[in-house]
Amino acid sequence: MTKIKIALAQIEARRENKKENLRKIQQFTEKAHEQGANLVIFPELSLTGYVMGDQVYEMAETIPGPSSRIMQNLAKETGMHIIFGMPELSEKAKATIFNTAVLVGPRGIIGKYRKMYLPTHSVFEEKRYFRSGHQAAMFETPLGNIGLCICYDLFFPEVCRLERLKGAQLIVVISASPAVRRSYFEILIVARALENTAFLAYVNLAGIEEGLQFWGGSRVAGPNGDLITKAKYDSEDLVTCVIDFDDIKPAEASIPTLKDLRPELFAELEREAEQF
Amino acid sequence: MILAPNVLDFDLPETVSRITRFIKGYFDNSGADGLVLGLSGGVDSSVIAALSGISIGGNRVLGLLLPEDETYNAKDINDAKFVAKKFGLKTQLCDITPSLEGFYRSIPVFDPDDRLCKGNIKARTRMIYIYYYANKLNRIVCGSSDKSETMMGYFTKWGDVAADISPIMDLYKTQVRKVATHLGFPPELADKPATPALWPNQLAETELGIKYETLDLVLYGLEHFMSREEIASQLNIEASIVERVKSRWLSAEHKRRLPLTAKLEYRTIGADFRLPRERY
Repeated sequence: MTKIKIALAQIEARRENKKENLRKIQQFTEKAHEQGANLVIFPELSLTGYVMGDQVYEMAETIPGPSSRIMQNLAKETGMHIIFGMPELSEKAKATIFNTAVLVGPRGIIGKYRKMYLPTHSVFEEKRYFRSGHQAAMFETPLGNIGLCICYDLFFPEVCRLERLKGAQLIVVISASPAVRRSYFEILIVARALENTAFLAYVNLAGIEEGLQFWGGSRVAGPNGDLITKAKYDSEDLVTCVIDFDDIKPAEASIPTLKDLRPELFAELEREAEQF
Repeated sequence: MILAPNVLDFDLPETVSRITRFIKGYFDNSGADGLVLGLSGGVDSSVIAALSGISIGGNRVLGLLLPEDETYNAKDINDAKFVAKKFGLKTQLCDITPSLEGFYRSIPVFDPDDRLCKGNIKARTRMIYIYYYANKLNRIVCGSSDKSETMMGYFTKWGDVAADISPIMDLYKTQVRKVATHLGFPPELADKPATPALWPNQLAETELGIKYETLDLVLYGLEHFMSREEIASQLNIEASIVERVKSRWLSAEHKRRLPLTAKLEYRTIGADFRLPRERY
């Protein structure tokens, strides 16, 4: 497929209420389906809400697990691809949890991405609860090649770059970003799309949890940095847009960042980062 | 960083929107029937009264006027009533003098000349009235402490700072004054000298020994990890002034936290538990 329709499902999650969130995810997925979307994307930790504190130990599930099975059925019923966020319990441990994005399609789970950069500063305390992921994620799907990132990963250009080099045409970033960070993300979303000449779909939570006001503002940026669609600030919204992967070629020819890559700098970067 | 007054500039409509969203969000999730707040006639509580009214409607906000004989000020009462009327708040006036006199009489070691200890009784008594109304009417207590006073520890522990939410605690006093102006307050109210009203003619700036315009820049510099020398140099003030502010800020942390807990068991209150405040 070169053209796909994607839906950004900018929801408010009910904290620690998976049943209610699954109901809402189903509702938004059905709406997106009615609008002809092939792919619907939900925010970071949309299954549980973001601010769980210690309750995350009660909320986390393995993948596959009860909630991801419900999502698989939803994908099967609608024939859609769905990306959502959840706390993932390690299969090999009892209290080791990842902040994970899951990609399911009509034929089941396609893949998952475990957040690599866990913010633990200011109001964030993710390292207290989550183990970092160690692999960038790019999945070949019937819709196209999709890379996955989560929120703070966007501040580290290497994650998107790695996924792009693995072949991602669409980089999906799910997020739970509070309002004080809005201006940063609005810059980074465009920058990551432009510097990688790829589509980038950013989907943020809306609503307020523990005083954290999620700013919504979900959007899709094209490979030339243009904004293709944008959801409302602060409140729930569902927006759709068509993206055409054929648009990558003229962007890549016009601003040939991939052609001009200097691999030797990455080795130097690694050395410097280790000694920093 | 250049420590000029414009570092304290901010997007006023956006900030008001965030604060009102914060209040409404907490209120909507709480199951409470309204808000209650102390209405002193000062700029902080006036701004909180206004923002509360804008957030959930003034008819669901109760402003308590809590005067007492020693610090009674008709202008404060009028200012409080002006704000309540402007934003549609309900008000209740309770003279706390008899309660205070009861405390004074019943504390064996009560010292009428120790105005700080005596004044703290006033702040804590006001808190008791506010929480009584909250308890009785199923309401949330909305605090009006600002960042300047909170950082400086310029409040009564378990007194005026006691609240369920503190929507403007991240705004310095000079920023609160800007919000007041933005909300349409007359200059005499927006710029009104601050007082905790613990004793007659008490003025915050006199006690703190520094103008809020300077204090807020010092605190802003400290917040942003600037050195004492750098702040003093940029503001053209003595380094000892910055040191005094810093020392006061750091030494008051005990007033801003729950009591320190002895760590004895597996998961300890205050040290281990991280549980969301709000329940759905």
